[in-house]
Amino acid sequence: MDPARRLGRAQIDVLAQLGVSTVLLGGIYALIAVGLTLIFGIMRVVNFAHGEFLMLGMYVAFWAYSLWTLDPYFVLFVSIPLFFGIGYVTYVLVMRGVIHASHNVQIFTTVGLSTALQNVALVLWTGDFRTVRPWHSSVVIRVFGTAFNLSQVVAFAIALGLTLVLFAFMKWTHTGRVMRATAQDHDAATLMGVDTDKVYRLTFAIGIACVGAAGALVSPLYAVYPTAGLQFVLLAYVVVVLGGLGDMVGAMLGSLIVAAVEVVGSYFFGVAWKEVCYFILFIAVLVFRPAGLFGQRGAETLGV
Amino acid sequence: MHRRTVVTVVTALAVVLGAALAGVHGQSLSGEYKIGVLEPLTGPLAGEGKRHLEGYEIVRDMINERGGVMGKKLVFVAADAPDPTAAASEANRLITREGVKIITGTFSSRLCGAASEAAARHNVIYWESSCVDPRFNKRGLKTVFRTEIDATGFGWYNIEFIVKYLAPRFNTKPNQLKIAFLSEDSSYGQGVTESARARAKQEFGMQEVAAEYYSFTSINDFTPIITKFKQLSPDVVHHIGYTNDAPLFWRQAREQNFLFKALVHAGATGYGSPDFGKALGNDANGVFALLEPGPGFRLEALRPEGQKIEREFREAVQKRTGSYPFGGHQLAGGGLWLLKVVLDRAKSDDLDKFRDAVMSLDLPVGSVINGWGVKFAENGQNANERVQHYMLQWQSGQLVTVWPEEFTTNRAKWIPLGAWDARK
Repeated sequence: MDPARRLGRAQIDVLAQLGVSTVLLGGIYALIAVGLTLIFGIMRVVNFAHGEFLMLGMYVAFWAYSLWTLDPYFVLFVSIPLFFGIGYVTYVLVMRGVIHASHNVQIFTTVGLSTALQNVALVLWTGDFRTVRPWHSSVVIRVFGTAFNLSQVVAFAIALGLTLVLFAFMKWTHTGRVMRATAQDHDAATLMGVDTDKVYRLTFAIGIACVGAAGALVSPLYAVYPTAGLQFVLLAYVVVVLGGLGDMVGAMLGSLIVAAVEVVGSYFFGVAWKEVCYFILFIAVLVFRPAGLFGQRGAETLGV
Repeated sequence: MHRRTVVTVVTALAVVLGAALAGVHGQSLSGEYKIGVLEPLTGPLAGEGKRHLEGYEIVRDMINERGGVMGKKLVFVAADAPDPTAAASEANRLITREGVKIITGTFSSRLCGAASEAAARHNVIYWESSCVDPRFNKRGLKTVFRTEIDATGFGWYNIEFIVKYLAPRFNTKPNQLKIAFLSEDSSYGQGVTESARARAKQEFGMQEVAAEYYSFTSINDFTPIITKFKQLSPDVVHHIGYTNDAPLFWRQAREQNFLFKALVHAGATGYGSPDFGKALGNDANGVFALLEPGPGFRLEALRPEGQKIEREFREAVQKRTGSYPFGGHQLAGGGLWLLKVVLDRAKSDDLDKFRDAVMSLDLPVGSVINGWGVKFAENGQNANERVQHYMLQWQSGQLVTVWPEEFTTNRAKWIPLGAWDARK
């Protein structure tokens, strides 16, 4: 008998668990995607090294935990400014040189950066799989036949908070408006006296700070190793395309959709199908709604 | 013009200097015998690749302390093979640029096919010590040999263990046993899983309740699978995983309170990797992994010559790493030691002499490192029944040998596994 067809309590529990898994997994994807969508949306740079900054964030949490038994949530307060700085420096040293170059050059640069960072991690910290096990990672919460762990709930809550803060920042602050103006029309913004180089520096730094924070938050959940970022970065692209470039709330919703496709697809068709499922979705969105599911304004400059 | 002259002069100097250096280098090699070692030293398999290389180095030093190979000091040219393309091109480079006549490696089933193909094209000996892809020896390549059993052998041993050891302890007949297969989808996972599935079904009529494959490079959540498995309530979960996915599955199975009687894995990665124990501590208790011998292994169960070399190998690993040998060390070490045995016999790297020496080797179980024996088939594969494998179990943060019982002082615990919190 197909287990999914069985009626009653068991089936409700299954649906509830799939729902909870979707939301929590979506939270993790959103954490990673939110910085990417910011950089992608404002700078129109495809940052292939995004996953590697996530990996570095995870290593920071790992070392802080294993050297000084600092909880990843405490490390968060150090990671955000640290990765803001790293993002800033990376922009000045690497990205500034290619910001006006063609997309190809930018892709080569960020792919190069990605490989370089992976190998730096490999040389410094070997290829071992490292794990952080703070107390909250083994606290299991059971509600109405569903189960999940505390670290995931915290990651989700912070993802939600981060998304809202960034959304508000972009929408209602002067800096946010300047950033959006730059995204919509770089030349016009320059003519209006916007220092676009400064905007890009700030955007990149904020984007990397977000992913640095994500690294600390996912460290209790996933092992860190030099190529840990690759595990998530492809997905983050799907999310960003789905949500629309530069759209924070879109990224959150896109993450939930990708997670739902993955969780439900894995359950009903088998886990081997999960990538087929969400890449079909990805291609469908690119073909039918290139500006993202939620039709973000300003996305028409995508082709520039 | 001036600049061009400078460039020309510098280039010429570099060429001359390079040639001179190469000459010096060549002379100092006169007492050395160089073989190529291909390992994934970067990329996702780097951790295992490096451990494997360490195993080679330890046994290389042991070999050199015992007179080297063919009267020469054995030396390595190591090359990095993170993916199949690199494996093939680096094999080519080792052969054409470094002039090696023997290549060994490559840890992974993703890599050995491409690397050995390249070696075979150049008529160079390819000595594989750990990949388990069943297709490896089915290509009619005369220069390709493998010391480790293939994935079919892993699957064979796992089902053997489930039927002979677990089923009676569950008071169940094998044909009443419900088994769920879960596996990563590379040729390693597929090879082990497919052979285990076939044997479980055809030979013992076990009830397969699920067979799921996933990509270890992109799996982030096992809860949908676990939710599904919970409803199917298998007795045994046969999971072949890598090192990032195995801890994730185990942690989430615990969170979901997924109860089953045993989990069985095979290979030096995933549940068989030391990283699994580090990730989970005592929560790892109870998992079975088919491997080379671990703590509890009775040296006395080996033949005298096997006892001697196994003891010396363990001491050498202990000295270098401070711990008992891990699977990667054992596969590489066991494989390289057999290469020495063959070269001692062939006294040459000439292809025909080498092959004759390989084919004439006939050592019973318990003769060499890991308690292995040797009997190669015409296709270059060491026989499954000679390459003795052992079931290890995670007990209090350590993988210990528990089966076959005549080879070990330890006994398996938590059969059936029971509640998650009761496995202390």
